[in-house]
Amino acid sequence: MTAFLEVEELSKSFGSEPVLDRLSFFVRPKDTLSILGRSGSGKTTLLKVIAGLLSADCGRIRLSGQDLQDRPPQQRRTVYLTQETLLFPHLDVEENVAFGLRLRRRPEKEIWVVVQTLLESLELADHRRKMPQQLSGGQRQRVAFGRALAVKPALLLLDEPFSSLDAETRASMQQLFQRIAREQGMTALFVTHSLKEALLMGDAIALLHGGRLKTYASEREFIEDPQSGVGAEVSFWRSIEGAQE
Amino acid sequence: MKRAERHRAPATTLVALFAVLPIVYLALLSVTRTGAPPRVLPAEWRLDAWRFLLSGRGEMLRSLWVSLALSAAVALSSAPLGFVAARYVAFHRHRRLLLFFAYMPFVLSPVILGTCMLFFYIRAGLSGSLAGVFLAQTVFTFGFSIVFFLSFWNREKLDLEDLVATLGGTRPQFYRLVLLPISRDALRTGMFQIFLLSWFQYGLTILIGEGGVRTLPVLVYAHVAEANPLFAAAAGMLLVLPPLALLAMTRRPPLGSL
Repeated sequence: MTAFLEVEELSKSFGSEPVLDRLSFFVRPKDTLSILGRSGSGKTTLLKVIAGLLSADCGRIRLSGQDLQDRPPQQRRTVYLTQETLLFPHLDVEENVAFGLRLRRRPEKEIWVVVQTLLESLELADHRRKMPQQLSGGQRQRVAFGRALAVKPALLLLDEPFSSLDAETRASMQQLFQRIAREQGMTALFVTHSLKEALLMGDAIALLHGGRLKTYASEREFIEDPQSGVGAEVSFWRSIEGAQE
Repeated sequence: MKRAERHRAPATTLVALFAVLPIVYLALLSVTRTGAPPRVLPAEWRLDAWRFLLSGRGEMLRSLWVSLALSAAVALSSAPLGFVAARYVAFHRHRRLLLFFAYMPFVLSPVILGTCMLFFYIRAGLSGSLAGVFLAQTVFTFGFSIVFFLSFWNREKLDLEDLVATLGGTRPQFYRLVLLPISRDALRTGMFQIFLLSWFQYGLTILIGEGGVRTLPVLVYAHVAEANPLFAAAAGMLLVLPPLALLAMTRRPPLGSL
């Protein structure tokens, strides 16, 4: 299967500090690539460079065979979802979801159909008239998700989208994301610092460390790599288990 | 009854008294003659000042229009300028230094600022003119405006701009569809406060205006200097009423922080 997103030798520094160092990887169509990395490892920088919000020092990014380098964010067909759910505070749920379509001046009827379908699918139909400040963390994240899906992006860039949610809401959002990604055939980059989330969300998995990205051919390879931290995690739980026996 | 609730009514009454009593006393002074000190309560009703004011003769009505036009112009120019400049300051790598410069007019006080700049205004042919006073007040309130709007510009506003861009929106679309609606309250509050700064400005106006630009505060002080409490109080009432009317007209008092 051919690559949908191709990144080649991508580098980015802030001053004299290299953040991304000759990164190369690809994502297959309709796949989600999980990128695991600690805080400050350059995960957000990577997504922002792909979205066109930061410029790369060198390297190439191709999406569906097209070079993205000289394209502004508006023309990249990517949507970037931040860690802190960002909704337009002056718009209700329905108008937040419709925002991207209104920017594109789509016909009113089309906007209505797309938005209502998404609200139903995201279980937000009963909250359509609510303002962002009246929503819970999980509901806010679903609205942000709906707003991104409404414009049918070629690539979704998710920057630790569930990290500020409680464990239960986080689990339900992970399931929701997987269902929608499957239904809509979405291609996504999902960055997280959570080992469990990286394993759960990705069809493929990579590790960002010291500005370099290591991709794994299989889940097994990732688990067996001492750098991934899986071994340390397993040892920790075994020691807890041992202490209780 | 909780302790806080028990104290609520007396506290409200006290605040109301402090706010209302001076205005009531000023209104009373504008229609009465108090007689010789130490008498503080009115001795006889006198409507001369208001009759004179409503007849259109004298300076009061003209000063009212001058003050209204000047303060509105200062607020309408200084608030948007400060709003835009505050964005620049907020994300500048020398933010602290720029903020120090923005604070300078307060540190100097308007009168000292006016004295420092007087030579420039004289040489530019602006002293003694309404344009000169407008410029001087705008320079003073511009610093205030930057400081006031600084807290509006935070990381979230930049993230919103990025979000609109990835959703396909241009920068003008971001300004029109997001920034303007979410900054409306802040701009309204900022404009109102700048209007008040200009409205009650005396030192800078008398210095740059050289006494020729007769705004309401200048007129009030002139009547006080003439020992004419009746006219001073009537002019004082004219000074107090427009801000009160503005407050009453707005749904929420535009006095809060951002």
